[in-house]
Amino acid sequence: MTGISLDRRTVLTGLGAAAAMTGLSPAALGQTKANLVVIGGGFGGATAAKFLKLFLPSSSVTLIEPNETYYACPFSNLVIGGGREMSAQAFTLDRLRGYGVDIVRARAEAVDGAARTVTLSDGSTLSWDRLVMSPGIDMRWGALEGYDEAATEAMPHAWKAGTQTTLLRHQLEAMEDGGLVVMSAPAAPFRCPPGPYERASLIANYLKTYKPNSKLLLLDAKDSFSKQPLFQQAWAERYPDHLEWRGASDFGRVVRVDPQAMTVFTEFDEIQADVANIIPPQKAGAIADAAGVADQTGWCPIDGLAFESTLVPGIHVLGDATIAAPMPKSAFSANLQAKVCAAQIARLMAGREPQASVLANTCYSYIADDAAVSITGVYTNDGGALTNVEGAGGLSPMDGGPAVREAEAAQAAAWFRTITAEAFG
Amino acid sequence: MTRQAGRWLAAALMGAVAGLSACAPDGAGPVEEKDAAALAVPGRTAQLALACSGCHGPSGGAIVSLEGYSKAELSTALTLYKSDEDGTTVMNRLMRGYSAEDIEAISTYLADEGPR
Ligand SMILES: Cc1cc2nc3c(=O)[nH]c(=O)nc-3n(C[C@H](O)[C@H](O)[C@H](O)COP(=O)(O)OP(=O)(O)OC[C@H]3O[C@@H](n4cnc5c(N)ncnc54)[C@H](O)[C@@H]3O)c2cc1C
Repeated sequence: MTGISLDRRTVLTGLGAAAAMTGLSPAALGQTKANLVVIGGGFGGATAAKFLKLFLPSSSVTLIEPNETYYACPFSNLVIGGGREMSAQAFTLDRLRGYGVDIVRARAEAVDGAARTVTLSDGSTLSWDRLVMSPGIDMRWGALEGYDEAATEAMPHAWKAGTQTTLLRHQLEAMEDGGLVVMSAPAAPFRCPPGPYERASLIANYLKTYKPNSKLLLLDAKDSFSKQPLFQQAWAERYPDHLEWRGASDFGRVVRVDPQAMTVFTEFDEIQADVANIIPPQKAGAIADAAGVADQTGWCPIDGLAFESTLVPGIHVLGDATIAAPMPKSAFSANLQAKVCAAQIARLMAGREPQASVLANTCYSYIADDAAVSITGVYTNDGGALTNVEGAGGLSPMDGGPAVREAEAAQAAAWFRTITAEAFG
Repeated sequence: MTRQAGRWLAAALMGAVAGLSACAPDGAGPVEEKDAAALAVPGRTAQLALACSGCHGPSGGAIVSLEGYSKAELSTALTLYKSDEDGTTVMNRLMRGYSAEDIEAISTYLADEGPR
């Protein structure tokens, strides 16, 4: 395969050059001077800021994110299993400055959809013509009895990557051989539907290798889950003595926890854990509620074409915060939604209607350090609602065998490098 | 700008620029082809192609970089994936969701017809 020629690369090394090449008239898109503000510098927000600048080079794009370092959740289960360093999960927004994005290191505290302003934790107020929000998730503290913010010190959720991830890893390392690890998976919808089962696989892999007398009990509020046949096949083959899954009809639903005593309660029994990983019920990041774009479910209804809120016009919501089913709450979805949303905002700025297209998702899950399975979906937003394209998508083949599982692990690693480069690089 | 950033832009804009000369990204016919401003508005084709870059970005990390392929190479490969159930990649499952017209549009948009 040949690379792009040097000439071509030289011509295309700057956004200014790109705008010049497209031969836009002064009235055209390249000259549109809109104020575009993006809240949240994760997979959705970072990608949106970059592509807004790409499609609307003369507009100002301001990205608001309080954290210096973003820790990516995808692949953080490998850190928990001991197969990856936390430093490989760390990204910053610094490179986006090179694309012309203004970065403001603050938290968005309030959004006024009528006045079209956002107020920041540093006291400043920004006005916007279009606002894009990709605030991810927040936990519903108290929805699971006994599980509040303080409880996460004893029983980490590790569902936002960072110190929670390393805490869970350290707890697993410190546990004596023969211990019981308890995980609790919530009812849908939640961030990363296959994530709890990938994590269970990788914890079981660690126990089998380093603490063979220990066991993982995965308690589930559901009877079925993402990639279930593939995970259950892998567990039967690889971790028959180290992983037990209990579904809702087997009294798998956790109804209460006691972080002091390290006990987890189902409707049927009380379980003493040595390590407890509680993945609690979730909702859209709190700023969504403050902005009025979340409904009574705690998530944000959007139109599937431009990801514009159906509750507050002018505000677009991306990623985990949205009600975008059948598209899952994944980094892949957030990244693609961001690119499509940026394109649609460019259309709106040019006085055009948003246009329907085809969207897709792929999520890889590791079942061991060097083996992975995948799920894909293809969606259309024709008519405004996201729906599955019939006959497309699905799971890795059940009879794939080790070669296919290894190939998908390598593809997963390449996907992570590519998508993080597109969002943050 | 770093070399890596330059390459990312090259890949992203390759589509945008190719789209201008080859096909209307607005999904429109010849009527709009002379309207340069209209052609710069990203339409259905651009949005279809945006789904590719999360996995197939610039070389050096991507599953397979899409740089340097002709339209014919791309559309042949994507069409073959629709019926290829070999199972070692997600491409068969994905391409089953795209029509022949969508595959033509994506291939035109992403093609590198520049000097080799
Ligand atoms: C264990 C685990 C494994 C996963 N594995 C995968 C995988 O393999 N593949 C995959 O595709 N997805 C995976 N995911 C899911 C993926 O992490 C999320 O879907 C993705 O991060 C969603 O992107 P987002 O932009 O919606 O939110 P986030 O990436 O969480 O970004 C939200 C950002 O908004 C910021 N923010 C929040 N509130 C404010 C405010 N008021 N003001 C300013 N900024 C704010 C936050 O600081 C954060 O940086 C996994 C998740 C977990 C937990």
